[in-house]
Amino acid sequence: MSSPSSSSSLSCPKKMITLKSSDGETFEIEEIAALQSKTLENMIDENCADTPIPLPNIEGKVLAKVVEFCTKHAEVGVDAESLRAWDDEFVNVEHNTVFDYILAANFLEIPTLLDLACRVVADMIKGKTPDEIRKIFNIKPSPEEEEEVRRENQWAFE
Amino acid sequence: MVPDDYDPSLFQALPDDVLALVSQSLSPRDLCNLGLCCRSLYALAQSEKVWLTQCYALGVIHHKDLIEWRKGVSSYRALCRFLFCVQPLIGIWVHQNPELGNVVYVMPGFVSVVGCRIIPQELGPLGIEDGPILWAPVFEIFGDFDGSASFFLHGRERGVDYVYPGSLKHIDRNCNVLLLEVEPRLQKNGGKLAHGKSFVQHSDSSKICRTDSALSRSQTVLEQNDTKVLFSRLSFSDRRKLLEVVTSRVRQKVPDSANGPLFARLSDNDENFRKDMLLLNERRSLIFHMQSCKFGEEHSDLCLEIPSDLTQLGLGEIRKSLDRSSSAIDSFSSDNAHGQCAKKKTLGGYFRYGIKQILGKSISFNGGHAVLRNSSSSSESKRAQLQEFLRSGDMMGLTLNASTVKLSSYRAWPNMHDSRFALYKLPLRLPKPDQEYAGLWGGTFGWPPGKPTEDKPGKALFLLMLSYEESEGQCLLIATKILEGTHYVLHPNGSAMFIANIDQPSPDPFPWSSDANSLPVTTDHAFVGEGIANGYGFRYPGAKPGSLYVLHNGLIAFIWRESRAVLTLQRLNLQDLLKKGERVPALPAIANFTYLTKSYSNVFAGFSNPSNGLLSPRQKQT
Repeated sequence: MSSPSSSSSLSCPKKMITLKSSDGETFEIEEIAALQSKTLENMIDENCADTPIPLPNIEGKVLAKVVEFCTKHAEVGVDAESLRAWDDEFVNVEHNTVFDYILAANFLEIPTLLDLACRVVADMIKGKTPDEIRKIFNIKPSPEEEEEVRRENQWAFE
Repeated sequence: MVPDDYDPSLFQALPDDVLALVSQSLSPRDLCNLGLCCRSLYALAQSEKVWLTQCYALGVIHHKDLIEWRKGVSSYRALCRFLFCVQPLIGIWVHQNPELGNVVYVMPGFVSVVGCRIIPQELGPLGIEDGPILWAPVFEIFGDFDGSASFFLHGRERGVDYVYPGSLKHIDRNCNVLLLEVEPRLQKNGGKLAHGKSFVQHSDSSKICRTDSALSRSQTVLEQNDTKVLFSRLSFSDRRKLLEVVTSRVRQKVPDSANGPLFARLSDNDENFRKDMLLLNERRSLIFHMQSCKFGEEHSDLCLEIPSDLTQLGLGEIRKSLDRSSSAIDSFSSDNAHGQCAKKKTLGGYFRYGIKQILGKSISFNGGHAVLRNSSSSSESKRAQLQEFLRSGDMMGLTLNASTVKLSSYRAWPNMHDSRFALYKLPLRLPKPDQEYAGLWGGTFGWPPGKPTEDKPGKALFLLMLSYEESEGQCLLIATKILEGTHYVLHPNGSAMFIANIDQPSPDPFPWSSDANSLPVTTDHAFVGEGIANGYGFRYPGAKPGSLYVLHNGLIAFIWRESRAVLTLQRLNLQDLLKKGERVPALPAIANFTYLTKSYSNVFAGFSNPSNGLLSPRQKQT
């Protein structure tokens, strides 16, 4: 039995959606929270959300955090200031994890999470020299073409 | 916490448009730094999408134009390089002379930016919006295939249009003055110098001489050692002479096929747009082609050679020896050959006129004798400076120097009391919540505003820049006149036509209840103010009381209380107006860039009947 997907009257019980990660874990998320994701929203509209939705390219531990993010952002009555602080805490994680968030947000089409995570990566790069960037991301340099590339790009440094 | 072995494929796993999202808040510099980290990141940082985002973020042109311009360059990165370089030039540039107004608006062309001078003019029969507004070309800066920029000055001599190719010195991000200069350069020899290879290999060796912003900093430092004399340090007459000599040598006649439009017309029609793009593309290729095949291999088309026996020569002799050596150059081009003698006479005549003007000015300013007494001792040091200047290179070319100088201003108008061949930036004012009326406005005297009629022809067009200033706790709205369309100027360029006190409402009612179309007129606000009036001579105007009215239809009007004169203004979008405008001939090259002689009449309207001032060509045609 499926309830109308767009109504959200107080008397109805909160509709839950089930998501299944690549490693077989299942997570429940409120429908309202799931609407943050355009991908999930489309599935709900097409009535495909009654059975667990498989997400083969998102790991369990990442999916857990994504659910947490969407749930928080669907809450009412949270002021912008404290939400921003919560976001900052949320992305205060290892670099690998931030990239996982980006990929998950891109697949699920969650613009708020995508913007947030991309900004974090951009901030890691902004204003840094190549050496510093390499240090942050532990990149091994390829020295050969560096001089030539540097010269080609001189215009950006003036 | 940094992981022990980072996998660079983390970045590679990101799809292009996500990478574009990440790079959105990065500057071109950050992006280049990212690309320097390792080979795979370098490949990622070449992404067209990423650089398209960067181009878009610069905000110079719209998306539709970005796609068209991209066709003329090698990549979005090259396009970004060009846009990044010329972005500080976009806007309004002014000069004090002539007093009627010298307004040059720099706007995007086609893979170029164009400096357009708005001519002092009267409104045409179609009013401001459909004018068309008259303008003349001052300069163009083209982007090459690899995104490097080159400068072309426009000029017209004895009925013939010319372009004067030159180089572009590094543009300061916060430049506030554009200087026309002559620059000595060392002739580049093939691959000896560590010259940055352009993105696409050019087979054309003549491009090597051009100074472009891709030269590394260390190289520029090498060239600008401590003893190098800057062009700006030379005396006025030396600077003028050098500019004259160089422009007369590097000028190239514009063939009719390349005399097309400089930018696309304003049109919703797709067909027109496509036609314009074709024409613009053709013109651009023609100009580059013209430039690269004019001269043989020995001399770059952009520069002329300074003879090696120069050290002992004064400028008079330099000019003579330049004439001697350039006779070989002239044999390549037929236009110069027969005009040689006549040209020398004209140059000399121009020079004499110039010196008389300047001497006359400095004598009256400094009290006469003092100047003459010092001239003999300073003339030797000036001569030495000139020789030092010429010694720093073996080639000489025209260059545009966009730099930042200390500029004082009085009430939004920069103080320009010098003899530089320059254009000064008029800072862009954008309307903000607490500065509603800031920005560029234009209009005429008289009510009702609108199109001139049979019995009331030729309403003079005024351009005003409105800005805000805090004075003694009061918020003042200042209307600075930057262009006046009368035949003979009433008040100095840069005067405040009116000043309104935003904190003080005016009790006087707006005298008219309906406009030209008999539509009712409602006043939203009225402020107390004062309007310009005759004062102590021309240079020091006075003020008389008046009121500023903000009308419901978006117009504003200032009314002088006593004389009941009314100046009605509307917001102007110069770029759109120019795209619908009509091009008129330019002045001779140097005067076309900066008109240094003091003048109170319309020097830019060369085609007008001198007794009537500027007659609209539209009226002549009907």
